[in-house]
Amino acid sequence: MSNPGISEQISSLVTEAREAASASKSLAELEGARVRYFGKKGMFTGLLRSLGAMPQEERPAAGQSVNQGREDAEAFFAAATENLKKKEREEKLFAETIDVTEPRGNNGIGSLHPVTIALRELVDLFVGMGYETVEGPEVEYDKYNFELLNQPKNHPARDAQDTFYIEENIVLRSHTSPVQARTMLARRPPIRIISAGRVYRADEFDATHSPVFHQLEGFYVDKNVTMSDLKGTLEVFAKRLFGENTKTRFRPSFFPFTEPSAEVDLTCPTCGGKGCRLCKNTGWIEMLGSGMVNPKVLELCGIDSSVYSGFAFGIGLDRVGMLRYAVPDMRWLFEGDVRMMRQFR
Amino acid sequence: MKIPYSLINQLVDIDVTAREYEEKMVFAGNAIESVTSVGEGITGVVVGRIVKIEKHGNSDHLLICKLDVGRGEPVQIITGADNVFEGALVPVALDGAVLAGGKKIKTSKMRGELSQGMLCAGEEIDVPEHLYPGAGVNGILILRDDAPLGSDIFDLIPLKDKVFDFEILANRPDCLSAVGIAKESAAVLGGAYHEPNVSVRTVGKDVREFVDVEVRDSDLAPRYIAAVIDDVRIAPSPMWLRKALNGAGLRSINNIVDITNYVMMETGHPMHAFDLSKVRSGEGAEKPRIIVRRAKDGESLTTLDGKERLLTHEMLVIADGERATGLAGIMGGEESEITYETKRVMFECAAFDRTSIRLTSRALGMRTDASGRFERGVAPETAMFAMLRACHLVNELDAGDVAAGMYDIYGKKQSVPTVHADCGNIRRIIGVEVSDEDIVRILRSLWFDVALEGGKLTVVPPAFRLDVDQEADLAEEVIRLYGYHHLHSTLPASAVSGKKSDRMKLRDTIRDFLTARGLSEILTFSFTNTDDLRKLNLAEDDTRLAALPIMNPLGEDTAVMRTTLVPHMLKALALNQSRRVGSASLYEISRVFETVKDGEARKDGELPFEREMLCVGMYGGGADFYTARELAELLLKLFGVEAEVKRITETYLHPGRAASLVVKASEIARIVTIGEIHPDVAEAFGVERGTYIAEIDIDALARHIAPQPKIAELPRYPAVERDVALALDMDAPLGEVTSEIKKACGKLLEDVRLFDVYRGAQLGGKKSAAFALKFRAADRTLTDDEASKLMDKLLKAVDNKFGAKLRM
Repeated sequence: MSNPGISEQISSLVTEAREAASASKSLAELEGARVRYFGKKGMFTGLLRSLGAMPQEERPAAGQSVNQGREDAEAFFAAATENLKKKEREEKLFAETIDVTEPRGNNGIGSLHPVTIALRELVDLFVGMGYETVEGPEVEYDKYNFELLNQPKNHPARDAQDTFYIEENIVLRSHTSPVQARTMLARRPPIRIISAGRVYRADEFDATHSPVFHQLEGFYVDKNVTMSDLKGTLEVFAKRLFGENTKTRFRPSFFPFTEPSAEVDLTCPTCGGKGCRLCKNTGWIEMLGSGMVNPKVLELCGIDSSVYSGFAFGIGLDRVGMLRYAVPDMRWLFEGDVRMMRQFR
Repeated sequence: MKIPYSLINQLVDIDVTAREYEEKMVFAGNAIESVTSVGEGITGVVVGRIVKIEKHGNSDHLLICKLDVGRGEPVQIITGADNVFEGALVPVALDGAVLAGGKKIKTSKMRGELSQGMLCAGEEIDVPEHLYPGAGVNGILILRDDAPLGSDIFDLIPLKDKVFDFEILANRPDCLSAVGIAKESAAVLGGAYHEPNVSVRTVGKDVREFVDVEVRDSDLAPRYIAAVIDDVRIAPSPMWLRKALNGAGLRSINNIVDITNYVMMETGHPMHAFDLSKVRSGEGAEKPRIIVRRAKDGESLTTLDGKERLLTHEMLVIADGERATGLAGIMGGEESEITYETKRVMFECAAFDRTSIRLTSRALGMRTDASGRFERGVAPETAMFAMLRACHLVNELDAGDVAAGMYDIYGKKQSVPTVHADCGNIRRIIGVEVSDEDIVRILRSLWFDVALEGGKLTVVPPAFRLDVDQEADLAEEVIRLYGYHHLHSTLPASAVSGKKSDRMKLRDTIRDFLTARGLSEILTFSFTNTDDLRKLNLAEDDTRLAALPIMNPLGEDTAVMRTTLVPHMLKALALNQSRRVGSASLYEISRVFETVKDGEARKDGELPFEREMLCVGMYGGGADFYTARELAELLLKLFGVEAEVKRITETYLHPGRAASLVVKASEIARIVTIGEIHPDVAEAFGVERGTYIAEIDIDALARHIAPQPKIAELPRYPAVERDVALALDMDAPLGEVTSEIKKACGKLLEDVRLFDVYRGAQLGGKKSAAFALKFRAADRTLTDDEASKLMDKLLKAVDNKFGAKLRM
């Protein structure tokens, strides 16, 4: 380059522009600087114009140098713009900071009744085992609640369940079993149903009894159904509901609609069978009633007992719920104190 | 049924511990309610004689007793009791003794004097008056019988025993007796059974010389046995009898009464004793007469408890020559009760019809030990055994002279069924391989008469078993004695798939939605009372007041079946409020019971109409009318049900804050009722103002669930959006205005949303409602011009209907 003066001018202008870019505190300031250096009347334009005074042959090289310097300086401005933009966005976002820990009221999550929770688990279990859910009326004919279940009028076993009467022949069902009778009269085997719902007995309301409670009934009639099938089925139930280590124990009992009959105990879910207050130190909890469907019941409901056999079982859902959550007093389940209800998950 | 273990041990050989006995009995089907140990833990109490009594120097009520307890050295004991005297035999708790309730006795000083033990009152050693006369006095038990000094008190009063309280199953009335339990025990444990002695010595005249007995209605009294005891010697019963009765929870009265009670406990047969001198002969007869007959309608009698009872023809009475004196099998008459003056007794041991006894006992509200037994079943066949046993005990206790002969009026003999069964079927029922031989062995151990031929069984159960008449009954006997623990665990082959009903799925969806919305499920009773229903201020003809009454309710407050879930919900909310819980959102899904459906009243003999309802109740936490409405609206949306909000009046809701959601398709289907509780009703139920209720008819909801519609394609053309502000009268219902806008614009209006309502003074008594509208055509880009035309159309429509003007 024949004119060393011009290249010094260029480099000092580039340096000056770079400094101005870095010194800009805001995009607006940066824009001002940009106009000052690169605008139509900016300094790079001025420098370029001043080349007119140079000898013709030197002009192209000098012009190239000016443009090169300008490009370099502009790159600085671009970088500076990016930085400032980022910074300003950050500042803006920072300014939008909220107190994420600020407590806000909400109504929270609701809750299901323990009876519903128990019901759902059992329904899932038994539907998975091929059972169908069926429902029936809560105010029921004596015929379905008792007579077809081998409890004719004045049968002494009726005393065991103090029944509410609406009329001589209409009762508040004392168990979910009338659904069995209705189903048998309507369908042919194989029948595999569960039925759950409210049942009523004239018991005073106390820590362990309620005149209204909830039952789930299982009922299976087919060819060659055995009592060992009943035992196997209830063992699956017990393990599913109270854990794999739960053991079952069958005790002979009596129900008019089953023969043979069995009451089933489970190892106490609270102490795991070691003995505690809940199981009165026996390690066992009485859980359900069951048995082989009495052939008389099958015959009363029009099913040939020489061909078919079946089993039935009944579980108190309130009791399952109480055991699951170690609720000591049944009244708590019917009181509706939201502070109690919300604890059930 | 309480039975002393000592008595069971007399009747059957038991070679296991009491604990093992209990376990084995329970697992053979003889449930045991409890086992109590009488006198357990009481030790170190001996018989002593008071040799000398001195006053305590430092006390005006304490006495210093010197006693001979057979040790040579006298012991000194201080007592505060004033019924002691020199020479008295008393129970002495020596140093180290333990008394009832675990009280420990130690040598100590009382007011400076040495006391080497304690003199005992009856209750301190668990001895009641009726077990040992004198035990109930206020003071020290003074022993009436001589006993070696220093011998254990329980050698003299053999109190210690275990008492098993058996829970007898409804089908086993035979086990309501020591003999029945002993026979079961023998079958379960394999020990020998020893029948009680029933040999009888009779003297003197025949029973027919003393009394005439006649059964007129043998259908209600299949068997009636009467024996006479002459020259009765009423006396206290011996210790063994008192102890047995005490263990069984019965009181000793006198030898004759005790014998009847003991025999009932031992054999299961209720017995009755009549003082024959009080049994009238009636006109023209010389001997006392006993007539067993149906009562006449309107006849009355006074029972042993002193109450007068009005009778009907369905009831069986025991009458004498003049009139009815006792209710057969339930309670005897006052007049012929045994007293200390009784000289001649007639024992009755009968079998009465269980249904008749049950009905009579129900009708008169009388339940006695005897009636309970007859209701459950007493075998006529074994009645004679019981009568002989009673007479034997009269001999043994020397309580009188058993007259020769008996009345045994036994018309139609008890029929004992023959059961035919198949060993293969029995195995099939239980699913366990029990051999033919084991089946026969087990049945025989239970006193069944069994013949086996080629796997076929012919079985005759013993007369005392009233519960066995089919193959399944035999299967139960076999498995319960073979052991339920032998049952296998198998699962039935599953070839069918299970199914959850649509209704159950619907409930699940509702519950999950409500849980997510923060509501808690509650369950309340299905009973209510008319008062609570009336508190809802329902109109007199409201069918919800026609609640179904229960014939035998637990109480007045639970006397009818509920027709609405609202009262229980309000009570639950009130409870939360009274416990200062700031907010609560609750729901219940339950049935209500209606007696009128579609204007038709339920007739007698018909079931009521059960309707499944959801009731939501909320207060606090910002809940208002719109919270409840939104909940209900979303719930309907969940099932694709399109409904409209209509203002309604409902007596228990605030008149200006009540609505229903009505299905568009049919104006009648009111699926939802929402509102704020009327202040009067709130007050009646004790809930605060600002309590909201939503009732959802789940049956109706289920009927209106819309099928999933075909999926619509997403719009391809842009929408035109316009806002419009309308000046409206204050009472113009914005829901209806919105509907009108939709109607006016037709299907080109994609969406209309109310986004602002303003009621300001400058509007001159009007309100302003601002709507955001979105127009779109499915097949083209809508022009501004088209949108403007639609706007004009809607403005005209709302002006016509509501006088609405565009606000500039």
